Amino acid sequence: MQTPSSKPGLDWAAIAIWTIATLITATFCCILLDILWHGLGQLSWEFLTTAPANAGRDGGINSILVSTGLILLVCLSVSIPLGVGTAIFLAEFARGNPQFSRWVRRSLDILAGVPSIVFGLFGYAFFVQRLGLGFSILSGGLTLACMVLPILIRAAEEGFRAVPDGYRLGAASLGLSRWGTLQQVLLPSAMPGLVVGLVLGIGRAMAETAALIFTSGYVDRMPGSVWDSGRSLSIHIFDLSMNVPGGEQQAYGSALVLILLLIVINSFASWVAQRYQLGL
Amino acid sequence: MTHPFQSLFLNSTRRNLLLGMGFSLLLTACSSGSSADQKLTLTGSSTVAPLIGEIAKRYEAENPGIRIDVQTGGSSRGLADASQGLADIGMISRGLKAEEEGEFQGFVIAKDGIGLIVHGDNPVQAISDQQVVDIYKGEVDAWQAVGGNNAPITVVNKAEGRSTLELFLKYFELENSEVQADVVIGDNQQGIKTVAGNPNALGYVSIGAAEYDIAQGSPIKLLPVDKIAATTETVQDGSFPLSRPLTLVVTEPPMGLTQDFINFAQSEQVHDIVRAQNFVPVSSSLAQTQSEATAN
Repeated sequence: MQTPSSKPGLDWAAIAIWTIATLITATFCCILLDILWHGLGQLSWEFLTTAPANAGRDGGINSILVSTGLILLVCLSVSIPLGVGTAIFLAEFARGNPQFSRWVRRSLDILAGVPSIVFGLFGYAFFVQRLGLGFSILSGGLTLACMVLPILIRAAEEGFRAVPDGYRLGAASLGLSRWGTLQQVLLPSAMPGLVVGLVLGIGRAMAETAALIFTSGYVDRMPGSVWDSGRSLSIHIFDLSMNVPGGEQQAYGSALVLILLLIVINSFASWVAQRYQLGL
Repeated sequence: MTHPFQSLFLNSTRRNLLLGMGFSLLLTACSSGSSADQKLTLTGSSTVAPLIGEIAKRYEAENPGIRIDVQTGGSSRGLADASQGLADIGMISRGLKAEEEGEFQGFVIAKDGIGLIVHGDNPVQAISDQQVVDIYKGEVDAWQAVGGNNAPITVVNKAEGRSTLELFLKYFELENSEVQADVVIGDNQQGIKTVAGNPNALGYVSIGAAEYDIAQGSPIKLLPVDKIAATTETVQDGSFPLSRPLTLVVTEPPMGLTQDFINFAQSEQVHDIVRAQNFVPVSSSLAQTQSEATAN
């Protein structure tokens, strides 16, 4: 690799950076290829639409998919309004009180770094026991919402901060109300930030095992409502690979489904955001 | 920027969509309150959970209207949840300790036995516990040192997190960091295939799985541990040392649904499930005495 440069030693820096980037990409590709290689044979319409049998060794993952979807739905329907609301407050309304918003931001940053098992134990103590929600999709979704909120808020806030002040001044000079400014100007402009937060949040929620094993639980029956216990895909993969002899193949299949789901959700989120931003 | 009217229209449909999603969620949430089904919750050992999960499915199929939720999280959580009343029954992958006997009552539903396996052509008939320790620590690395062929020993160990690994290490008083493994395997099947394909390998797997594969013609053989043959019979009668009971625990004398389910889990009706999960069934008359025998 020859990079034209005037300073000696810069080539080495370039090589180092290229090597690091290649290594990271290669690691990711290795994992992906391994899962594709082992999981592709498992993947079929039947796998997605039948119930797990024989402790997950046979059958499919239909109930697991439904549980995962419901947990995510509970998580997002709580965390999106709360998260976007807090981000708007921090970026737009708390400017007169920097002391308070600094405090909020610091606690959010600490929360974002808390290990997920701590959230799991909190959810177990608070939602499962104190609020009496039991082992349920509701408990799991709410626990995940607590976990995802800091990420969502910080990314969304950055989105709002990235909107140039000229937009706000322009809106004000045109006589738009604060609500109108928010709805017509700020939200669409801050959309990329919101989507980044959402994608990161969904990623963390879907990959979560530790926080869910104590809250939404292990039951692999098709859930009848959000009050039922339901096993998420991540827990299913964990259980198949760690506790069920002969479950490896199904674990690979489930892992592949999880990765495909993440890719689909992420591209859908960016597609929606793009349309929203363009006002289509 | 968006045209005001266009945007207003779109915003309202978007809002409706969200409202609808929230509303349908609320509806599903409310509809559950009406089900007056009987429900049993079990929590505990991740080794027992897949077995009980399958037993629960059969029980549910035979008793419509009853729901059995199986949760996992480890033996200690099983005891804690049963003690706090969060679970009706706790699951532990060991016998009750003497100090726990006062608070809990245990019911053994199956046993888990682990046998040492070598290739069928290996002339070694038995190795002592000390030899096993030496081999796994890497201090002995050739078969002739324990009376076998002039060949190096391929040490097969289990991957981290396996319950069989824990039991194996505990019995031989080894730390996993001390083990010098040549091959690290995941499940029983992988262990059996590794040893069947390597005349110089030494491994350990669930006895139930090994016996099944020997019956299917797999070229492996089980070695005795502490001079006791590794068979489902010696595991069942408790004489085989490298085994542990899978136990259901309750805090109060079981009644009603709890009692019925424990009886079902100990009955012959589920022995095929127990075997399918590579465990050894115990007859219910034996189960009570087993529970007492393993209390120390």
